[in-house]
Amino acid sequence: MDVFILLLEGIFVSFQPLNLGLLIFGCLIGLFVGAMPGLGSVNGVAILIPITFIIPPTAAIIFLAAVYYGAMYGGAISSVMLGIPGASTAVATVFDGRPLAVKGEAMTALTAAAVGSFVGGTVSVILFTLFAPPLAEVALRFNAPETFALMVMAFATFVGLGGDDVPKTIFSILIGLALSTIGLDLITGKPRLIFFNIPGFLHGINFLVLAIGIYGIGEMLWTLEETKGKVQMSKLSVNMKEVGRAFGALKKTIMAMNIGSFLGFFVGILPAAGATPASLMSYGITKQLSKNSKEFGSGVPAGVVAPECANNSASTGSMLPMLTLGIPGSPTTAILLGGMILWGLTPGPLLFTQEPEFVWGLIGSLYIANFFTLVLNIALIPAFLMVLRIPFAILAPVIFVLCVTGGYAPTQSLHDVWLMLLFGFAGYILRKLDYPVAPAVLSIVLGPLAEKALRQSLILSDGSMGIFFDMAEKPIAAIIMYIAIVLLIMPAFGPLYRKFFKKAQTT
Amino acid sequence: MSITNKITVKRAEIVVAVILALCSIALMIKSAENRITWNAEENMGAGFLPFYLSLGMFICTVLTIIKFVLKRSPQSKDDSPFIDAEAFKYIAVTIISLVILVLAIGYLGIYFSLIFFLAFYLRYFSSKSILFISVFSLITPVLTFLFFEWLLKIPLPQGISEPLFYPVYDFMYS
Repeated sequence: MDVFILLLEGIFVSFQPLNLGLLIFGCLIGLFVGAMPGLGSVNGVAILIPITFIIPPTAAIIFLAAVYYGAMYGGAISSVMLGIPGASTAVATVFDGRPLAVKGEAMTALTAAAVGSFVGGTVSVILFTLFAPPLAEVALRFNAPETFALMVMAFATFVGLGGDDVPKTIFSILIGLALSTIGLDLITGKPRLIFFNIPGFLHGINFLVLAIGIYGIGEMLWTLEETKGKVQMSKLSVNMKEVGRAFGALKKTIMAMNIGSFLGFFVGILPAAGATPASLMSYGITKQLSKNSKEFGSGVPAGVVAPECANNSASTGSMLPMLTLGIPGSPTTAILLGGMILWGLTPGPLLFTQEPEFVWGLIGSLYIANFFTLVLNIALIPAFLMVLRIPFAILAPVIFVLCVTGGYAPTQSLHDVWLMLLFGFAGYILRKLDYPVAPAVLSIVLGPLAEKALRQSLILSDGSMGIFFDMAEKPIAAIIMYIAIVLLIMPAFGPLYRKFFKKAQTT
Repeated sequence: MSITNKITVKRAEIVVAVILALCSIALMIKSAENRITWNAEENMGAGFLPFYLSLGMFICTVLTIIKFVLKRSPQSKDDSPFIDAEAFKYIAVTIISLVILVLAIGYLGIYFSLIFFLAFYLRYFSSKSILFISVFSLITPVLTFLFFEWLLKIPLPQGISEPLFYPVYDFMYS
């Protein structure tokens, strides 16, 4: 009952004129950002954070969450119409969305994507409302050792479940953490890693500089290389008959909606996972369980619904650990978490008691944003198609302008703009060589929090690392640490398992 | 053979791994300017975390190099060009123009630099008319000015062009 009242208050907060206006504006920007090839929620949120400095934190989080949400819907538009995923989260949508468009059923694909996103979003936000308060209550009992253990687990999840090259993943985590140590030491006050005595390093490296560099500049370079500014758009006829037929085709996608919504939510909660693996897994499982699995890939609506349900559901799911534990569930929530620190908030369970308007305003806004994005998405399809026709050679410099101004605004230092360019170029090269970049962004956000928790824990234990493994004194920290160790060593058993499995098959 | 064909994925992988290994060593040396030890009496030295994080980075790059030598990574067997010739043109021009943009911001100020950057970029990569390019290159900095200086009250760098903005500020704040 309490939850219901708090939720109603949250919905009321999101209906306040400023919040509602920003919510609708955020949904629109998100749809646009998601639809543009090369831009996704993470790019949109990273580039737009600097403009939230002048509005209250609740309005800022509602705006950015709406951008996040809208981008999940929008990603499908370019996947279907151009055959290029608007973002990595919409990669699986191409598998059946594009063949549907090629067959002349683009409207069916777009409607399936929009309705799938709505169902996934609705189911996940209900699960979020139910799970968040009890999880936050448990997390309130966490002290420094538990917090540090949780952060180690977040890093370990990237290694265990990320699926990327292990040394490269660990390198990415470590470089993010190393970058977060630049500047003045928290405890001793001594300057650390001040290269060439450049004073700009004294204030440390703002996470936004890395995030905009990697997801703004780096991503644009990547997209310029992939598309070379050329795209091929499918034809689309929009009329009520087409829309009606498209809704009719959705009757056979109930299973895909269930798999996408629930699987997406739980995969989204995992720190390394987020919406991209959630959508790919949902597509794979729906295909496996479908009676018509052979038709997948040739253009079936269920192949669009499953990943779209999942990516929306995962985006909401990834906010659960962000709000309750202070651990982001995806690269986008890592940036949102960094934003919360910039706005003067302390991410974690205390938000539920100290900033109820912020927390419940965000949760309430997810319900509202879900509805508005569905309506805007379907109503504005022709407008988005016009936007998609903008040549990339025009869009790219505009995004570069946003990156340069966004990189300058937080600290008003050209030093940071240079660093942003450097990170952009480096991120582009590293990504081409399969170095995952998301762990670096997560690490630079969590780095200062992890260091603080580690040092506080060591002061508590008189310098003994045993505090993290003491089942009698700190059982939660110990269990989390052991899970983290299992996750860290898990990839080592992958090749052994495959070898054994192959041997068993041959004999 | 063009330069883009000479730089294969295989070569890029090993060159980048070696550069990252060297950077990690440089970070370790830099971290050692502070105390890198840790014990119960003295607690953690300011250089402890950066040093061991850099050491971890170095170990990861060594593992990447070993995987490369043993041909265990996909990149170690990939002789395809790291970047194709057409894409290289886009990337190289973009990177150079961005570097010149940031250099120009420090001297000319952001608004005039943006005009030149946009005009050059659009002229080079798009087939739009001179009129479109001129209008677009002028409007974008104006909108940027209004958004940052008027709405957000965040002053952007103006370099030698700063005096030109005094009348605008007089008008805005009068």
